[in-house]
Formats: sequence, C-alpha cells, structure tokens
Amino acid sequence: MVCVIFLAGCAFDISYVKQLPATFTASTNNVESFVLDRPVKATLGTGFPTRLNAGTRWQQVGETEYGKVFATKDQVVTVEASNIYEAQLVVSNQFITGFYLIVENKFAPVTRPIRIETQPINPKPDTLK
Amino acid sequence: MKKLFFLLLIVGSSALMTGCASGPKYSEMKASFPAVPQDNGRIFFYRTAVLGAAVQPAVTVNGKEIGTAQPEGFFYVDRPAGNYTVETSTEVERRLSLTLETNQTRYVRLNISMGFFIGHVYPELVDNMAGENEISDCHYTGSK
Repeated sequence: MVCVIFLAGCAFDISYVKQLPATFTASTNNVESFVLDRPVKATLGTGFPTRLNAGTRWQQVGETEYGKVFATKDQVVTVEASNIYEAQLVVSNQFITGFYLIVENKFAPVTRPIRIETQPINPKPDTLK
Repeated sequence: MKKLFFLLLIVGSSALMTGCASGPKYSEMKASFPAVPQDNGRIFFYRTAVLGAAVQPAVTVNGKEIGTAQPEGFFYVDRPAGNYTVETSTEVERRLSLTLETNQTRYVRLNISMGFFIGHVYPELVDNMAGENEISDCHYTGSK
C-alpha cells in the first residue's frame, strides 16, 4: 500500500496550481505603479509559497476580473507546484488576490487575500504636501 | 578488501566524471557569444548539480528537443519574443512556462530532486543576477 502511494506520488503531478479562467485586458494609460514596502509570502496551497521582495517596483500592465495586474523587473515571479509558471501579481483594493499566469492566461488565487503596504512611485502632487 | 574499495572508488569517480560536461566554461565563452538575432531573445539552460549525474534527460522548448541536462553543463537557444514551455522528462514530466521579450536574456536552472526510481530534473526560472553567477563555471554542451 505504501509503495502504491509512493508510486502514485512520483509518477504523477502531486501538487497542482488551481487555475481559473481569466480575461486579461492590457493597460494603455492611467497605469498605477508602486514599491512594495515589506516582503510578502503568498501561499496558494501548493506547499511552495511565492515570495515577493521588499523594495521591488511594480507597474500595472493590465486588468482582470480578479483585480489589477502588476509586473516587476526587479525579481522573477513564479507560481510553483509540480510545474512552475511565470506569473504577474493581481491586486484588488490593496489586497493580493492571486497571480496571473501569463502563458496560460489563467488566474491562480492565493489561499487568503493578503493586504500589502505600498508606496506610489510617482505620487500625485497633492500627496506630496 | 582495501583493493576492492579503491577499485570501486576509481570506477565510481570515472562514472561521475564521464557524466559531466567538458566543453569550455561559460566564463571563458562569454565574450565570444554571437549577437542575439533581431527580434529574438536568448534563454540559457544550465545544471550545476552533479548529484544524480546519470540522470540526463532531454530538454524541450515548445515540444522541440533543444539540449540535454548534463551536470555542470550549459547551452542556450535564441527564440523570437513570445511564450514558451520548457519541459524535462524522467519518470515524470516537469514543465516551466515563461515569456521572452526581444533582446531579453533569461536563465533556466535545471534542478534535480528525489524521485522514486530515479531523480527528477525540473526547470526553474531564476533571476538574471543569480543565473549569470551560477552558470559561470558550467561547461558548454551545445544545443540541438
């Protein structure tokens, strides 16, 4: 029985990323950007959390029904289970809701929305007062 | 008994050595890499781990075989900007999906993990700084 469990675990994908259909619309103007104040450990229930580094700069590249989609050039962002997917961050009302899987055009939700603390990169004049 | 031990040691070491890549090092070749063709990006693949040296699966990009995961080896491919799936196959298949932009360089590390019968090699996208650092002592194996 133990051997069967081991075999099943090794021969097939033992950990999946939950993937939901997503409609991605690329941003053209009025894009938001921010710097992440603190590191974030985002869990998707796969056993492989995605870590986002403090100080990384994020720029909006689009939008889905799950929130605005942000990309960064400051670190590689992947979502990992048995397979690994390059991803972009999905944020709604200052909460990370999940990740947009770029190649698959799917949304991978986090187990629980995560509140993030950010600083705008180009603050509007009235926020500088 | 002592002789047998040394004989096994020599045979074992030889087996390990023959499994490793032996071409020029990345650090030696770096200055002479050809320019990336127009509208293309470059993806480097490398494997630092000697562990599981006998396990050297083929590496495919979008289903086409482009190289082998040799210990301490590296190779690269130039591809037009777009979406790509990298796959290695041992007793299981492991996939990595990534994007490639024009003139972008990406590094994919071929890691080894425990398997039931044999080790699993899986591709992982790494930051360019880490990738360029880790690949420097790897030897060129050539791509297909």
